[in-house]
Amino acid sequence: MTIAKTILGALAGVAVAASAVPALAQKTIALGYQAPLTGEMSQYGEVFRNSATMAVEQFNKSGKLPGATVVLKFEDSKNDAKEGVNIAKKFVDDQEIVGVLGDFSSTVSMAAAQVYAQAGVPQLSQTASHPDYVKISEWQFRNITTQAYEGPFVAKWALGEGKKKIAVIAIQNDWGQSVVSNFKDAVEKNGGQITAVEFYNPGNRDFRTILTKIARERPDAIYLGMFDEDGATLMQQRRQLNVQIPTYATSSLYSPKLVALAGPSADGLKLSTTFAVDNPEPVVKAYVDEYKARYKADPTMFAAQAYDATNIMLAAIAKVGPNVDRKSLRDALAQTAGFPGVTGETTFDPQTREPSKQLARMEIKGGQFTLVK
Amino acid sequence: MSKNIRLPLIVGLAVLVLLPALLQVMGSGYLFRVSITAMIFVILAASLNFITGVAGLLSLGHAAFYGIGAYTAALLATRYGVPFLLTIPLAGVAAAIGGVLVALPTMRLVSIYFAVATLGMGEIIYGTLLNWVDFTRGPMGIPAIPSFKVFGLDLSGNLGSYLVVAVVMLASLWVLHRLTHSYYGNALRALREDDQCADSMGIDVVRLKGEVFAIACFFAGIAGSLWAHTTGYISPGDFRFGESILVLAMIVVGGLGSLPGAVVGAVLLIVLPEALRPVGDVRMIAVGCVMFFSILLLPKGLFGEVSALNLVRSSFGAGWKPGVRGVVGWR
Repeated sequence: MTIAKTILGALAGVAVAASAVPALAQKTIALGYQAPLTGEMSQYGEVFRNSATMAVEQFNKSGKLPGATVVLKFEDSKNDAKEGVNIAKKFVDDQEIVGVLGDFSSTVSMAAAQVYAQAGVPQLSQTASHPDYVKISEWQFRNITTQAYEGPFVAKWALGEGKKKIAVIAIQNDWGQSVVSNFKDAVEKNGGQITAVEFYNPGNRDFRTILTKIARERPDAIYLGMFDEDGATLMQQRRQLNVQIPTYATSSLYSPKLVALAGPSADGLKLSTTFAVDNPEPVVKAYVDEYKARYKADPTMFAAQAYDATNIMLAAIAKVGPNVDRKSLRDALAQTAGFPGVTGETTFDPQTREPSKQLARMEIKGGQFTLVK
Repeated sequence: MSKNIRLPLIVGLAVLVLLPALLQVMGSGYLFRVSITAMIFVILAASLNFITGVAGLLSLGHAAFYGIGAYTAALLATRYGVPFLLTIPLAGVAAAIGGVLVALPTMRLVSIYFAVATLGMGEIIYGTLLNWVDFTRGPMGIPAIPSFKVFGLDLSGNLGSYLVVAVVMLASLWVLHRLTHSYYGNALRALREDDQCADSMGIDVVRLKGEVFAIACFFAGIAGSLWAHTTGYISPGDFRFGESILVLAMIVVGGLGSLPGAVVGAVLLIVLPEALRPVGDVRMIAVGCVMFFSILLLPKGLFGEVSALNLVRSSFGAGWKPGVRGVVGWR
């Protein structure tokens, strides 16, 4: 009796497996995602993974690509170039992978990019902002507002409000360098004047010396190129020193952490942004609502960029169809135009592969980021 | 066959023939890349072992000399088109000069003071690479460093790069091995055990320390040039304090003062994080556990000549003296 039951059970199992075969016969298309999932930059990798997973699940459910399922393969780079290059080789070896997203920092993205360029795998970074990144080869793309666009945007905003003399404080890394050079050029071209440029080394926690030094020149405004923790510290110390010079910043300071850390000190900070949680546009609202429901937190600008990067990749796959390969995916990516993302409409220049996006203006009022109309 | 050449022959055969043949058959660029990274760190660990393990000078700034080598090779290759056969030794020479310049003012320091001085020097060199924007391009890094190409021979593929790195690594290991297992090496061991005693026996301690630094930094520079040529892009972030500590961890796990220990430690700490990728986000915790238990259960490391505890004890001086009931610890 028991044997008969076992056999029956086994037969039933085979039958179920057999009936499931047609559904499984769907082709699998894989995307590699390399990001810092552990280590000191893991907070960024974490939100990338959240957004990308969400985007791929939505895409597979939507039926935009009949006959194939997209899967994501994550690897942790620890924001370490050694590991980034290893992962790149691993992804290149994996024949299922047609395209790669990531890495987070320009350093790791560019080290890995050498491998992708040689092997011919399209790479789309959500954050690599180094001016040379897309120049490495025709296989590199990015979904970030480059400073060539953002610098002039804020410069015109500040000059339009009558701020003619501006001091700049930026982090000493590749991105900070491009923040300064683009902003400086734009201000000087439009009749303004840069009173001082101060770089600080990553990890610096004391901005009082810099603030005192630039305040002595009596500029009309200060422009910041830095990330949330540094920005929060600087805004607190600015208040402690009672420096009342109006302050502008890059979109990188758009993060709930900034107001959480800086509290009332952050009030009055003006910044440009591509993404805002309270944006009433339906596409942004749908994303923010679902992200909140899944992960119990507001998406940051970095999360939004990763969401758009993944969706741009998926749209390119859908355009080619289930038989997509590395070359056809690259060509489809290069044709991305007017992509309606949560970080604004995105178009890739087919030649330089540089993205262009629309920017919005924001101000912190009473501990809230509010859009400036 | 004499016993003296049997081991080198086996190692040479395994590294130059067996392993690449196996990897080639498997056709895996990933495994080639992990092997190349591991071999570069073998050179770094072996060279730091020469300073810290053999000569007993705790250096916390080794990554800086690795960085000097990488930047020398990268700048020579990208700005002046120097072929890699020249950039590799020149990178070593530049790092060695850097090492001597660091050694000169710090030679009179002993124990923990020396360690802190090397830590400071490492940070100064990192800061220079980061902030001297006109010369090093600062945080922008140096892209498009050419791979190994010589006399029309393209060695930039997986196998070619592997073989170049393997040959350089074996040559470096041979030189370091000969230096360690000789009268010269014995003089260095005397220095490690008690430098005042060594001085009174007629060993020129200051000169010896300078030479040790020059030799070890030469090989660190060579490792840097290999990293630059095999990666194609370098930036100051690759040569931070964390890398110095990683290399130090390698020789402690492998065993201080032992060349095979340095090799095994380097391979272990490069391969382990990669092998543990399937574990997911907790893989670095697993690596930490391996290091923790290896030092707990094998205080001398895998092949160590001296225990890491002894090095810490001599470096931290009076903090470590047998207290009540002969228990060693902070008082």
